[in-house]
Amino acid sequence: MAGAATASVDSDSSSPIVTARDVTKVYKRGSEPGLIGRIVGRSEPPAVHAVDSVSLEIAPGEIVGLAGSSGSGKSTLLHLLSGLEQPTAGTVSFRETDLAALSARERTRHRLENIGIVFQRFHLLDSLSARANVALPLVELGVPKRERRKRATELLERIGLGDRITHRPGELSGGEQQRVAIARALITDPALVIADEPTGELDTATGQKILEEFKQVAENRTIVLASHDQETLEICDRVIRLRDGAITTRQTQEVNR
Amino acid sequence: MKIRQLLTQWIGLIAVGIRRTASRATDTAKQRSRFSVLGVAVAIALLIMITGLGVGLATSTTVYDDDIDYWIVPETDSPESPLIATDNIQFSSVHETNDRIRHYDGVDATTPVLAQVLRIESSNTAEYVLVVGIINTPELDRVVGVNSDLLTPQDPYYVTGEYNGKWTGEVVLSESAADILTAASGDAVTVAGNNTFTVTAIDNQSSSTGDMPTALVQLSELQRITGAAEYDQADQFVVSTNSPAMKNKLEGVYPRSSVQTRGELTANKVAESDLSLALAFTALVVSLSIGTLFVVTTAGLEIVADQQQLAVLSAMGLSVRSQLQLVGTQTVVLTGLGGMIGTIGGLAGIRLINIVAVRTITTEPIATSHPVFIIYGIGVALVVGLLSLPVLLLTARRVSGGVP
Repeated sequence: MAGAATASVDSDSSSPIVTARDVTKVYKRGSEPGLIGRIVGRSEPPAVHAVDSVSLEIAPGEIVGLAGSSGSGKSTLLHLLSGLEQPTAGTVSFRETDLAALSARERTRHRLENIGIVFQRFHLLDSLSARANVALPLVELGVPKRERRKRATELLERIGLGDRITHRPGELSGGEQQRVAIARALITDPALVIADEPTGELDTATGQKILEEFKQVAENRTIVLASHDQETLEICDRVIRLRDGAITTRQTQEVNR
Repeated sequence: MKIRQLLTQWIGLIAVGIRRTASRATDTAKQRSRFSVLGVAVAIALLIMITGLGVGLATSTTVYDDDIDYWIVPETDSPESPLIATDNIQFSSVHETNDRIRHYDGVDATTPVLAQVLRIESSNTAEYVLVVGIINTPELDRVVGVNSDLLTPQDPYYVTGEYNGKWTGEVVLSESAADILTAASGDAVTVAGNNTFTVTAIDNQSSSTGDMPTALVQLSELQRITGAAEYDQADQFVVSTNSPAMKNKLEGVYPRSSVQTRGELTANKVAESDLSLALAFTALVVSLSIGTLFVVTTAGLEIVADQQQLAVLSAMGLSVRSQLQLVGTQTVVLTGLGGMIGTIGGLAGIRLINIVAVRTITTEPIATSHPVFIIYGIGVALVVGLLSLPVLLLTARRVSGGVP
C-alpha cells in the first residue's frame, strides 16, 4: 500500500512531534442493524475508508501540507492528528504519547495545551468580540482576565487587527475573521498548529496575505495544513498527497523560510 | 489546577456565558433567546397573578356588591382588632356625629360602638363578657355578629344631649354568652357591679368574632355605667352603605381616624389561611412545571442548534464541564431575566385584574400585590432554571464534542 511507508523527515533530525503509524479511519454509511434488523436480514452498512493505512512523521518546526481533491481524506487525517477523532486502526502519537491511550477529557486538555486549530469556516463565536474569541482558550487555562486581554490584544495587533479587537465576527470581513481564528489558534502558544483549508473561504489575494501573516506569527511552529490549492501549499516544507485516504506521493519543497 | 486558577476559570466562564447570552438575546439569536425568556416570563406572570388572586380571595378583602360596612376607628398602632380593642383613644360626641352620618346620602345604617369587657353576673354564675353598646335602628342588622333588632331603637336613654331618657336595661346575649352565664331570655343580670339589666333575647344565630361571649346593650346605658358618658364617647362607628364612594366622606368625620372595610377588619394573616396556602402552592407547582417544561424545550432546542459551537469549543480544548458551565450560565441568566419580566408583568396583571373587577363585578380589588412577590417571582424563575439544568446539561453533554 502506497501510504504504508513512514515519511522521512529530512529537514529536522530531532524526534517527531506527531507520528501516525498505519492509521486507518473507517466510517459506516448509515446505522448498524439492530437486533430486529439482523433477524430480518438487514445487511451491515457499507464502510468508507476515509484514511487508509497512513504513516507519517512530522518534525518540530516543519510545515507540512496535505494535498488532495475533495474527499481524499485530508480533513479526516487532520482530525486524527489533532485527537478530534480516534483511528479505527493504527496509532497517532504526540511526542511519543499515544493519543488513543488518553481519555476524552485528557485529549481535550491535550488540544488546549498543545494544539491550535484553524478551521476553513473560521468557526468564531458570533456573540463574542474578536478579543474575547481569541482569549477564550486562556479562560479554560485559568489565566487572569488582565493577562488574557493583554495577550489577546497583542496577538491581534501583530496580525493587523489592533483596531478591530472589540468588533464581533459579524462586523469583520472574511479575511479579518480568519486572522482572528489564527490568533485564537496561537494564543496558547501551541506546539502544533493544524489548519484545514485556511484560505478556502477567501479570495486569492487575501488568502495569500493571510498565509504570509500566518507563517510569520506562527514563528517556526510545526504546522500541518490541508488544502487543495497549490498556491496555499507553496508555504509548506513538504507536501503529502492523498487519494482515497491513502498517501500517493511525498514531495519536499524548496522553501524560503 | 490550583484553586486560584480554578476560580479564575470559573469566573471567566461565567462572564463569557453572561456576555454570550446578552449578545445572543440582543443580536445574534434574538428570537430564540426572547422566546425562552418569554416562556419563563409568562409562567411567572401567571404565578404572580394567581397567587395575588388567591391571597386576595383568601384574606377576604373582597366585598362584592352586597351592603358594604365601613368602620371608622381612631388612628392607633395597636395590633388588636378594632372589634375588641379597649382602652384605646375614643371618639367623643358620638350621638351627634352619628346623626350627622345617618343623613349622608347612601348611608343605610350607622351606629357608634363602645366595647368593654365587663363582668356580668347572672343568678348562677359570673363571667367576663364583651359588652357592646350601640344605637339601634331598624336598618341595622347585626353588630359584632349579634342581632341588633332585639334592642329598642334610637337609644332612648339619651335624649337631646342628656342622659335622662328612658332606661331600658335591655341586653341581648350571643349564644356563647348565654351559655357561659347559663342565662335565659327574661333573666336579670348585673353588669359591672350593680347595674341591673334584663336579657331581652338570646341570639342563637350569633357569629361574634372568634365566638367570643358578647352582650349587646344600648350605647348610652353602657356609657353611663362605664364613665364614657362624660364626653359621649365610643370606640368606633360602623356604617352600612352600598356606596363605595362613602369611604372618602367618612374619613373626614373625625381627624386622626381611619376608615376600614369589613374585609380589612376580618383580614387574617395570609400564612394562617389554608386556602391561600393551597392556592399559592398550586400556582407554584403549576408554574414550576410549565416553566421547567418550557425552558427544557426551548433551551434544549437551542443547545441542539448550538451543536456546532459546542464542537468548536471542544476542538479548542474547552472541557465538557466548561461547556456545561456556559450552558448553565446561559440557562440561569435567561430564566432570571424571564423571572424579572414575568414578575413585572404579573404585578401589572394584578393591577389590570383589579381595574377590570372594580369596573365590572366588584367594588373593591380582588387581587392583592405585595413587594415580596418580586423576590418570589425571580426566585421561582431561578428554581425553574435549576430544575431545567440537569436535562439541559445532559443534552449538552450528548451533543458536545465531535468535529465542527
